[in-house]
Amino acid sequence: MKFLLRTLSLSYVRRHMAKTLLTLLGVVVGVATFSAIRSAQGTLVQGIRSTVDRIAGKAQLQITMVGGVPEEVQERIRELPGIRATSPVIEQIVVPEKGELGSLLVIGIDLLGDREMRDYGFDGQDADLDDPLLFLAQPDSALFTREFADRAGLKIGEAIAVRAPKGVKRVTARGLLSPKGFSEAFGGNLMVVDVYAAQELFGRGRRFDRLDVRLDQGTSIAQGIATLEQALGPAYRVETPSRRGEQMERIVANFVSGFNISSGFALSIGTFLIFNAFNVAVNRRRRDIGTLRALGATPRQVQFLFLAEGLLIGIAGGIVGCLTGTMLSQGFLRMMGQTTETVYGVTSSGTVHLPPGIALESMALGILASLVGAWGPALTASRIPPTEALAKGAFQARLPTRVAPRIAAGCVALGCAILLAMYPPLGGNQLILSVLLLGGTGLVLLVGPLSRMLLQLFIPLAARFAPVSGRLSSDALLGSPRRTSGTVMAMAFSLTFVLGFGGYMGSTKATMTRWMDDALTCDLFVRASANFSRPDFLFPGALRDELLKVPGVRTVESYRGVHPLFRGQPILVGSIEVGPTMDRTKFEYLQGNPEAMRRGVTREGMCTVSENFSRKYNLGVGQQVELVTPSGVVRIPIAAVLRDYSSDQGMVLIDRTLFLRLWKDDRIDIFDVSITHGADAGQVRNAIRAQLAGKYPALVSTRKEFTAEINKAIDAFYALTRVTVFLALLVAFLGIVTSLLISVAERTREIGILKALGALRSQIGRSIVLEALALALTGLILAIPAGNLFAAFMEGAIAEFFTGWRMPHHYPWEILGQLLIALPLVSAFAAWIPARQAGRMKITEAIEYE
Amino acid sequence: MLKLHDVIKTYDGKSQVTALAGINLTIGAGEMVAIMGPSGSGKSTLLNLMGGLDVPTSGQVMVAGEDLARESEKGRSLFRRSKVSYIFQAYHLMPTLKVSQNVALPLHLAGVPAGEINRKVAQVLKEVGLEARSGHLPDELSGGERQRVAIARALVTGAPLLLADEPTGNLDTARGEEILNLLRTIHRERGTTIVMVTHDHHAASACDRLIKLRDGKVEGDSVQAGGGK
Repeated sequence: MKFLLRTLSLSYVRRHMAKTLLTLLGVVVGVATFSAIRSAQGTLVQGIRSTVDRIAGKAQLQITMVGGVPEEVQERIRELPGIRATSPVIEQIVVPEKGELGSLLVIGIDLLGDREMRDYGFDGQDADLDDPLLFLAQPDSALFTREFADRAGLKIGEAIAVRAPKGVKRVTARGLLSPKGFSEAFGGNLMVVDVYAAQELFGRGRRFDRLDVRLDQGTSIAQGIATLEQALGPAYRVETPSRRGEQMERIVANFVSGFNISSGFALSIGTFLIFNAFNVAVNRRRRDIGTLRALGATPRQVQFLFLAEGLLIGIAGGIVGCLTGTMLSQGFLRMMGQTTETVYGVTSSGTVHLPPGIALESMALGILASLVGAWGPALTASRIPPTEALAKGAFQARLPTRVAPRIAAGCVALGCAILLAMYPPLGGNQLILSVLLLGGTGLVLLVGPLSRMLLQLFIPLAARFAPVSGRLSSDALLGSPRRTSGTVMAMAFSLTFVLGFGGYMGSTKATMTRWMDDALTCDLFVRASANFSRPDFLFPGALRDELLKVPGVRTVESYRGVHPLFRGQPILVGSIEVGPTMDRTKFEYLQGNPEAMRRGVTREGMCTVSENFSRKYNLGVGQQVELVTPSGVVRIPIAAVLRDYSSDQGMVLIDRTLFLRLWKDDRIDIFDVSITHGADAGQVRNAIRAQLAGKYPALVSTRKEFTAEINKAIDAFYALTRVTVFLALLVAFLGIVTSLLISVAERTREIGILKALGALRSQIGRSIVLEALALALTGLILAIPAGNLFAAFMEGAIAEFFTGWRMPHHYPWEILGQLLIALPLVSAFAAWIPARQAGRMKITEAIEYE
Repeated sequence: MLKLHDVIKTYDGKSQVTALAGINLTIGAGEMVAIMGPSGSGKSTLLNLMGGLDVPTSGQVMVAGEDLARESEKGRSLFRRSKVSYIFQAYHLMPTLKVSQNVALPLHLAGVPAGEINRKVAQVLKEVGLEARSGHLPDELSGGERQRVAIARALVTGAPLLLADEPTGNLDTARGEEILNLLRTIHRERGTTIVMVTHDHHAASACDRLIKLRDGKVEGDSVQAGGGK
């Protein structure tokens, strides 16, 4: 076998280097996408875990509460039995004015009392801070890591500008941390400030983000948790740092796992390219196969030879794919990090390294994809009778003649996929995998016979418009059913993917836009933070009265969102003055009605829940939501279920009065401002800006600006998806190029004879372009219904799994329109190289071609 | 060596074609036999059945004591590897392999150790007079030389039966004569049984026996006086 590989296979590769490279590219694209996404995802999750661990230091437990831990809690727990030390912490991500330095994680701690918790390892000649009191006395004091200071060109005593919620703020380096333990958190992009300065800087009021707790020796974690829970009550969460890290990971993992579908698609399209290339190789090398069989090669030896070639392509593609993936992964991490920070308020930084586990997994997938692609052609090769392989004239590995059972099996597989998607007995990844596998199998089985039917319809049409070229291209397509169906399959798959994802994205965007038109109806939004889920700053509640005094302001509603756990999962609890909000907002009711909502929520202490919350937790009108609040556990009856896209975690909306009563926290995320009739929104905005300038960070946006920002966040969520859609199109393009190059090679003699008979270069070139068009359009025609089904599945089951929402079906007509324009151009471009090759063929050589 | 009993071969297509219509034939070990007949008479089909490249629709094909009709695909492959060798009109050399590699191919398929392969290849290349061309590719050889490479490849396994399908069909008279002489030498010195399908009366006259086929049946079977000399 080694001899055959070294001689026969290698020489085939050498003679068809360009085609081999194109085949290889299929695996490389798939493996690179997969490994880049997985390693970026791994680094993101690992970075979050590592940051949580390193910042936790020696803390064994962490106390948190929705909305922040009040200062007095530290005093309450200090004297409890088994508690050795406590330390308050505030965490916030800021961006230096020199954006290229990367985001900085600001840690606010009590520097004097924190030594029990974290080892700072001050760097340089000083064994410690020169003067801790000076550090505390100067509110602009900060510690940086040595690594960050070097990159920023920062020395002790020098200042650096950072973008804080209240505007650009200069902070002065009073000490440098050596690169170990704590200071390695967040990839070393760390800034340590005094916790009380951080309270002021980030609008935390008299609260901390959490309290870190170290236990006495001999006190177990369980004992510590029990003591603290008993002392603090259910509103406080007491957990180990690793458990807290896991929760953050779960939030992020849910988001990034969606990308695995994209990389899976890239890999499956790569498999079809290999299938196509091997099919053609079997046809081209049938004489060699015949000779080998005549010389005594067993069918298994022939099959193993092709599989070994597939294996080598898989290994080579896997290695190159992993290397390419490593190069791409840093960019993927940046995109993922930005999105998770914007959408979830969680992120990490760091350098992506390809871990051996992911490298092996990616390699294994590349090899598997390659072997799966090569399996069918290898089996066909082994089954070619030697007499047939040695026969003269055109040859095609025979297609199975029993088309009816194939169509029936394809319909059954597709039908099962549709039924499974409509009435899912399973959930989550299992459902997605089952539906994609069954749907994919159905498509594989149906594409061959259906593409043949479509191409037969193409013949009279092509012959009518281009009598010579049309006939030639039809003959070439129908004469090589395996090559044709392989290419159409790759096209159909990638276009299904593009249409499906496009439909899903279009549906999401259209739905969100409609919802924003209905729900976000005030004229101006006054926010303290650009981050939707982890606010950098909160306004004091009293600011509402100040805003009402601004000329042109008619009403102001105060929105506050918190993220408590419900049945172990974080949810959004939103609060606003519901009565005035209802006056200006058109809610869509899935259960309940406006009267019941107004009465229940404003007067009877009830709540409304979002559609995704209702579906996820199977709760509706007449039932109750049990929430753990600082005032204890409360059960809030549900007055209505609303269509709402505020949070993919699910939202519970209560009136502001109820929130104030339960959470005892009057701070505000966003003020919804409505202006008086005839007032100019721009002028009122400027007046509010002037009113708040220097006192509070204030992002004042008009409705249009605010919705544009939300749209930008949605776009960021789907940014990676766009990359993979592009990759799918690239692979489809490569499929056409490969197929046509092979077509020209197979038809060398035929082309020679045609030229000898007087066919013009242009006629032959046109036939190849027509062939490309027919392949692309057949793929598209098959992808239109398949893409529709895939879009419906994405908008239904997959959307529900990842976001909790079921999106209404939206066919991506705009993408279809774009494809109808782009595909003929792409196909004609893909046909250009093979057409040129055919045009340049020498007649004498071509007619001698065997 | 070879015994065919009531061999029928039909091909199914739009209409059924009978290639061989009841062939009964015996060829003894060490014979050199020519099979002649017009196009479509079933010559090549018969040769394919003798070499286990194809199986009959009915009947028995006994070669070296084995009924090829009853053998599995793998069994027939192993049979071809050791008991029979082929020479084709179109040579069927691997265009990307050097002469020595082409000759070595069946030995590699059989898993023969490398040292033994090198020795055997050198020996047969010397026998066919191509030791100086061992490093060349088939494209760099003349037609006669290519056929000699094919003969060397057939000889290298030491198979007792050599089947030749129009071995001189692509060659001019002088090169054809060279190949016939080589086959005669092999037959004489190695005692190899040779069955040769040909259109060429001159080539057929080089054999001990001449079998004539027409419409899938044996039309004549005669011993040729002075054949093989």
